Parts: sequence; structure tokens; C-alpha cells
Amino acid sequence: MTRKHGGEIPHWPLHLFLILMVVVTIYPILLVLTIAFSGGQSLSIADVPPNAGAGDRLRAILPWPEDVSTSNFRSLFIQQPFARWLGNSVIIATATTFLGVFLASTAAYAFSRFRFPGRRAGLMSFLVSQMFPGTLMLIALYIIIVQWLGLGSTYSGLVLMYTVTAIPFCVWMMKGYFDTIPKELEESALIDGASQAMIFFRIVLPLAKPAVAVTALFSFMTAWNEFIQAATFMNKEEMYTAPVGLRFFVGGFSQQWGYFAAGSIVTAIPIMILFLFLQKYLVSGLTAGAVKG
Amino acid sequence: MRAPLHPPSHRRRFVIGLACALFLGVGVGLALLTAARTAERHQLASREAVVTLRALTDLIERVEAPPASTEGGLGDELAGLDTGAEEAAPPAPSENAGGGMGLGDELAALDSGAETTAAEPGAAVRHAVTRFAEAHPDLRSVRVVAFEGIRLEASTDPADTGARAAPRRLEREEKDVYDLGQRLRAAIEENRETIAGGGSPINEEISSQELSDGGFSIAGSVERRGDVVGMVLIRTAPNPAARPPAPAWLPALVAWLAPVALLALLALGIGERRTVLAAAALLLLAGGLFGFSRWALGVLEAERRDTASQLAAHANAQMKTAGELLAELVPTGAAPLDPSRWDVDPYRVPRALVTAEGTLDEGKLGEQVRLDAGRLTRSVAVLALLALVLLAFIGFGGAASAGQNLREHRIAYAYVLPAMAGMIVLVFFPFFYSVALSFTNTNIYNANKPVTDLWVGLDNYAAILSDFSVIRSTPDGWAVNYENFYWTFGFNVVWTIANVAIGVALGLILALILNTKGLALRPLYRVLLILPWAVPNYITSLIFQGMFHQQFGVINQMRQLVGLDPVAWFDHPTTSFVAVLTTNGWLSFSFMMVVSLGALQSIPSDLYEAAKVDGASRWQQFKAITLPSLKPALVPAIILSVIWTFNQFNVIYLVSAGQPAGATEILITQAYKLAFQQYRYGYAAAYSMVIFLILLAYGVFQNRASRATEAIGE
Repeated sequence: MTRKHGGEIPHWPLHLFLILMVVVTIYPILLVLTIAFSGGQSLSIADVPPNAGAGDRLRAILPWPEDVSTSNFRSLFIQQPFARWLGNSVIIATATTFLGVFLASTAAYAFSRFRFPGRRAGLMSFLVSQMFPGTLMLIALYIIIVQWLGLGSTYSGLVLMYTVTAIPFCVWMMKGYFDTIPKELEESALIDGASQAMIFFRIVLPLAKPAVAVTALFSFMTAWNEFIQAATFMNKEEMYTAPVGLRFFVGGFSQQWGYFAAGSIVTAIPIMILFLFLQKYLVSGLTAGAVKG
Repeated sequence: MRAPLHPPSHRRRFVIGLACALFLGVGVGLALLTAARTAERHQLASREAVVTLRALTDLIERVEAPPASTEGGLGDELAGLDTGAEEAAPPAPSENAGGGMGLGDELAALDSGAETTAAEPGAAVRHAVTRFAEAHPDLRSVRVVAFEGIRLEASTDPADTGARAAPRRLEREEKDVYDLGQRLRAAIEENRETIAGGGSPINEEISSQELSDGGFSIAGSVERRGDVVGMVLIRTAPNPAARPPAPAWLPALVAWLAPVALLALLALGIGERRTVLAAAALLLLAGGLFGFSRWALGVLEAERRDTASQLAAHANAQMKTAGELLAELVPTGAAPLDPSRWDVDPYRVPRALVTAEGTLDEGKLGEQVRLDAGRLTRSVAVLALLALVLLAFIGFGGAASAGQNLREHRIAYAYVLPAMAGMIVLVFFPFFYSVALSFTNTNIYNANKPVTDLWVGLDNYAAILSDFSVIRSTPDGWAVNYENFYWTFGFNVVWTIANVAIGVALGLILALILNTKGLALRPLYRVLLILPWAVPNYITSLIFQGMFHQQFGVINQMRQLVGLDPVAWFDHPTTSFVAVLTTNGWLSFSFMMVVSLGALQSIPSDLYEAAKVDGASRWQQFKAITLPSLKPALVPAIILSVIWTFNQFNVIYLVSAGQPAGATEILITQAYKLAFQQYRYGYAAAYSMVIFLILLAYGVFQNRASRATEAIGE
């Protein structure tokens, strides 16, 4: 940035703008950290006296707690049922991941390797399903799953819904990957007397490890971050998932911001780390899908 | 007998096809018929129990508050002792509706107070109950609860003898009984308000539970001059009339096999002539189904008449016993009993099958039978259509070739099946079911009825789309009707455009800056600026909702720091819009930045070198090189982002929740509100279908537009 030849703009205004944007970006995150470590339930960082001076007001927006304490995290797990909610989320997201990967990889393999009547229609129907609006499906699913099947407030109801939500994207992505694996490997295995199932599980799936990983992460994140279906289908407090539980802390007349902030950190950190690893695959997958569609 | 593969036997196919089609039609028809008859008998049992309850209630109400002016009501004198919430004159439904801690506290309060005086206010009631129960061997128990004093006023329950004999206060363990009574009271009062406001009742005023042995436990409230003062709870023994009927196998077998046998015989004469075979099979299918449905209709009508007359007879018998008791207990002046108010639905609306004289209303019965016939005819029509498709499919060889296909590609189908089955059950079926729902007035209370019963045609769509009253006049001048579809749609469009514009502008500027050669700390900036995209958006929304809090939110603290007044962000449409826009802007610019940055980095730098050599200015370089290279990545990202933002549920739902008064609601949150706060499933489904059609139209338009621009570009 010290090199300056003719026509180059100086870098300091760029840095100024970037720093401004970074402050705007990380301020809400710092605020959550501040409230989480404040040890209290208040939404404000500091109490502002009735006739406050500029110093008091500045203190109230500075994202650093007055007393640093981890008591919010401790009581979140001991006094509040958050451990249970987090456990629900882990169970549901894990089940969704396994079911999603299994269903998506088998279907994608067939779409990639076999030519059969209905193949094109099947692939297209998966794409079209992505256009159905969420609430439209939610009403019908609510009647079917809760009122007909009686699966409201159960793990299986939510797992099934999350899995089918993730399937189309996962199928398309895995099909794309399977297409790149040469067919000769399987043909030679077939000649050696391997069964179809053996070829799929012992040869193709191990070769497609990266795609399986991305599919798994995508399924996991779909289930982990979902709010509205869980809020609609889980009516019993002990069956809440973490997102519904977080909303429970600060929704309606409840104002337990300390628990919310601590819970958000516990819930979001793992998924944010996963996301930062995954985002480049997601971008290429999304835009590639959009270009094709 | 050998099964030759070639040539196919039309004869065999049509005979098998007819057999399968009739099996489907007659089988499902028989199942429907049996289910309907079972339901009819079951309903009879529960309606008889309700009639018994209502007759008893009618009797108690007259006995308990005789027309003579002396107040001799249920535990009236206790009112003076009870200083708890119970006494408060208009009982607030919400207070007791949840059945919280009321009873325990009140019991404690009473315990410390004076003991009940031994006057026998409910003696008449007890007498009536005992006599009524004696006349009804099918009644297992009757319990009468008075809210004033939380008393068990009368009981014939075997458990309530000796020290527990009525009258006495309810015990702590019987809190659920008291709560049930309070729930019914709350339901009645709430329904009265709803009806006064022009709505239809939504809370059940009679609680009916089927016991495991087939008897019923039914509770209804006792009123005195319009106030709910107590509850009657009866348990009935299993009703022999409720036994499910045996399916009528013989007529069904005849209707199934006779046409098949006939076709087999005919086929001997017809030979392999396909058209004639098809016509014969079609005629026989129609004949068989028609005959079966006529017979089924007759059976169902007989069942209906039978149960109706049984019910009327039951009501008549009640009128006799209760009437005799009433004449005995209240010799003068009591209003006559009214059996037409006994056969009621859970909202205590009379079903009008029994007249005030306790006889069967033939006209009403005929009306119901006709309704049944219409419903059955519709079901048979659908069944016949399905059967016809099946017949054609098998008869013309579709089944054979499909079977061939399945065998040939069985491995592929086996792989696809699990995912496809899931998609069909949980995506495609629900979609088509929603489409059907959108033509009905389904709500939470009638969702178990078949869609055909609730059909309203295009009414929902008409109600949504033909209401143009966006602005209406009120006593205080003109006001915007925020619930109107066109307001919400307009807001949704403005919301989408504003967000995408902000996202693209910020994302593009940041990407261009981050792409500057030699800029220090680029990776650090990039990671920090991606963070908003990584935070789950429901968390972002909840944080921003807190940041915009009027009193404690940091945004208002910042305003005060620079000397501005705090703002009530969600009290005005404009400020509320600013709040949701800020939230969505924060969480969406990262995506655009990452996409643009990726595209910028893939532009080969020699393009710029060449442009520089040719003396192009920075602006010319941007226009000729940067923008065109960005387009392939940016256009799909914008398309995606338009759809995402258009349907950005979480931000609106969690930050503004549509405040104020639904002004910042977008279509999808409005649809959710209609479905899950107002429980208007049918209307909400139609609303969602409109959203779907809007998105579909956008998709088609966008496809055309991008093709057109491509064509121009080439």
C-alpha cells in the first residue's frame, strides 16, 4: 500500500470504510457476548441514570460488561431446561443428517448411473418442489403430521420434514459429483462379481466422500438452524429445539436476555465454524443450481 | 395352463382388469359404508348421553332456582364466607380458564374460615339427582358441582359415600373436576362475546370423553339466569346401540364377482376383439358399481332413520321421567322442559332433529338423508373414476408394460424409491392437498372432515383478490387497512426491492474494495465481513429486535448520545420498516459480497493490463471488463436473493412481528398468521397459493428476461 503510481487511489479511505463496516458488522455480535458475560438478564449494557451525561451514555453503548461473569452459562444449563433443548436439537439434526445422506446419496446414484423411465421427471420434480412456498406446505404438513398422524411434538415428525426439505438440494449436488466418478471402476467390480449394493457402499460412496461431507453438513445445518417449523410443531416445552428455546427466553413478555445471549453463543458458535468452512461449496452449489434452473 | 408371453390375451387382461377395478370400487365402498355406519352408531351413543345430560341439567336448573323469588340456590349462603376471587361478580374467564392454582388457594382460605352451616340448600337438587339416577340404570354416576363454595352438591358416585358423601367441599385431588367446570364456564362466556361480535362459537361448551369401556363421561354447565354457577358431570355405561355393525360381505361379494363372471362368459363369445371387450367391461363396471352404490345408499338411509328414531325415543323417555320428577319437586310455576334443546352439538347449538314435543322431526331427517346421499354419490363418482382408470390401465396393457419396466429397471427404482417416497408423502401430496384446501373453508375445528364437505370453490381467492379497500374511512378520517392483501403485497415488493438494492450495492462496493491489489489485511476484513452470513438468521433477528427496544435498546442509547430523542421503533410503519430493513441489510450483504468477490477474482488481470495499454480510463475499464464479468455470477445471485428476501419469514416475524397493526407484515408472515393464529387453514392455503403463483410468475418472467438479454448480448 506504500507503492503509489499515477492514478492509483490512496488506500486510507478504503481502510476507513472497511473499518466502519467491520464495526457495524461485529457490533451486534459483541453485544451478544457482552450480555452473555454480564451475569444479568438486562438488555442494556449499563444502567443510565435519569440525567445522564455523555460519559454514562457512552458507557451504555460500549460493548463490554460492567462485571464479567460466566453465571449466565452455568444457570443456562443448571436452572434452565436449555441442556434438554440443545439435546433435542442434536438428536434431530443428527437423525436428519443420517437419513438425509442415505436418501440423497441412493437417489442421486440412481439418477447419475441408470437410465430409466421417469428419470428426467423425477429430477425435475425435485427442482420444482423447491418453489413451493414454506407456509403453504406448513399448513398441509401441520394437518397431516399433527392432526392425522399424531406426530406433533415428536422427534420423528420434525426429522422427516427437515430431511425432505434438504433432499432436493442434496440430490442435485451429489448427482453432480457422482457424474464425475468414472463408471469403469464399477464395471470392473461388476465383472469381478461384486453385487450392486457392494459397489455402491464399498466403491462409490468412499470415492464420493467430499460430496457426502458437504451433504451431511448441509442437512445438519438445515435442521440445526430451522426455527419456524420447530416453533409450529413442538408445542411441549420439553420438546423445544434450541432455536425455539432461545426465542422462548426473549419472546412475548419474557425478557431473559442473559440466557438468550449465552444460549445463542452455545448454539451458534459450532454452526458458524462449520459454515465458514462450507460457504465456498454452498456458493458454487447455489449459483450453479440457479444457472441451470 | 401355460402363460404365453406372445401374443397378449386381451380377454384375460380385461377380465383381470375388471376384477381389480371392481375390487377397488366395491372394496373401498364397503369400507366407507361400514365406517359411516359405525360412526353413525357411535354418534348415537354419544348423542343419547348428551340428551340425558341436558335433560338432567334442565331439571336441575328448574329445581335449583324455582320461579318463586326466594333465593335457594346452590350454596348461596356460602358466598358470605368466601372472600376469595370466587366471589368477584363477573367471573373472569382467563383467571380460571387455565385451571391454575385457584382451587388450592381457595380451599386454604376456606379452611381457615368458618365451617359450613348445615342448612341444606341443595337438598332439592340432591333429591332430583337421586331420583333421576334411579330412573336411569344406564347412568353409572352423576355429580353436580357448585362453583360457589367449590362444593360437590350432589353425587351418586359409589366413591362419594360415607365421609365423602355430598354435599361437601371438593378436595384437592378433585381439582381437575373443578378446573373442567371453570373451563366450560370460560368457554361459554367467551363464546357469548364472540357471538355478540358476530362470530360463530369456537370453544366447546360440553365436554365429552369416551371411556375405555365404551361409556361416556360428559360434562355441561348449570346456569342460573344466564350465569354459569355449576357443572353436571355424568358417566354412562356402554351403550349396546353403539356396537359396530358387521360388514355386509355377501352383497359386496356379489357386486364384485357377478360382473366378472359375466364378462368371462361373454368373452368366450367375443373372442379377442379389443374394442368390444373394453365396452363390455366398461358397462359391467358401471353396472356393478351403480348397483352396489344404490344398495349401500339404502342401507345407510335405513341406518340413519333407525338411529334418529332411537334418539327421538330416548329424548321422549327423558322428557317423561324428567317431567314427572319436575311435577313432583316443583309443583307450580316451573317452565316446561324443552327437549328440542337437548340434542345439541358441543357448542350447545340444537341439531333440530328432536322437536319441543320430544318427537322426531321428519323434515330435518329427510334433509340429512339427502345430504348423506349427495356425499355418498360424490364418493362413488370419485371411486368409479379411479376404478375406470385402473380398468383401462390393465385392460389396454399399461400394467403389463409398466410391470415389464419395473422388472427391467428394478435396481434403479429400488435406489430412488426411499427418497421419492419421502418426497411424495411429505412434499408432493401436501402440495396437492394444500391446493385442495385452498378451495375449502377448513379451520382447526373441522380439519378432520373430508375436503368435499367444506368445499367453497373460489370464495377464498375472491375474498383475497377482490378486496381493494386498501384505504378506508374511519371516524378519525382516512386510514390504511393494513390487513388488505394489496397493502401487504405492495409492502412485500418495496421490502424486496429495497433489500436487494442495499445488499447488491454494499456487497459490490465491499467486493471491489477487497479486490484492490496490495490492500493490507484483506483476509482479516473478508472473514469479519462474512460473519453476518454465518450467524443463524433467527438469532440475528432476535438481537436486532432487542437493539431496537424503545427503552433498553442500544440504538436509542446511541441516539441519545448524539442528543436525539429515543424512538418507539415499532409504533410507526416507517420506523418499523427501517428496523426490519436494517436487520435484513446486516444479514444479507455478506452473501452478495462473497459472490461478487469470487467473480472479481476470476477476472484475468491481463485484461486490465491490456485496457490500460489501450488508454482506457478506470470507469471504462469497470464498464467494459468488470461489470460484464460480474454478470454471470451476480444475476443468479440476485434472482436467488429476490426470492429469499420476498419470503424472508424470520426477520419480519421475529423483529417487527408485523407491527404496528400488521403494517410491516409480508405475504408469507401474513399467511402464517392466518393459518396458525387465526386457524383459517383454507383461507391461509389460498393466500399461500397466491404467493406461489406470484413467485411462479416472477420465475417465468425472469427466465424470459434473462433469455432476452442473452439474445441481445449475442
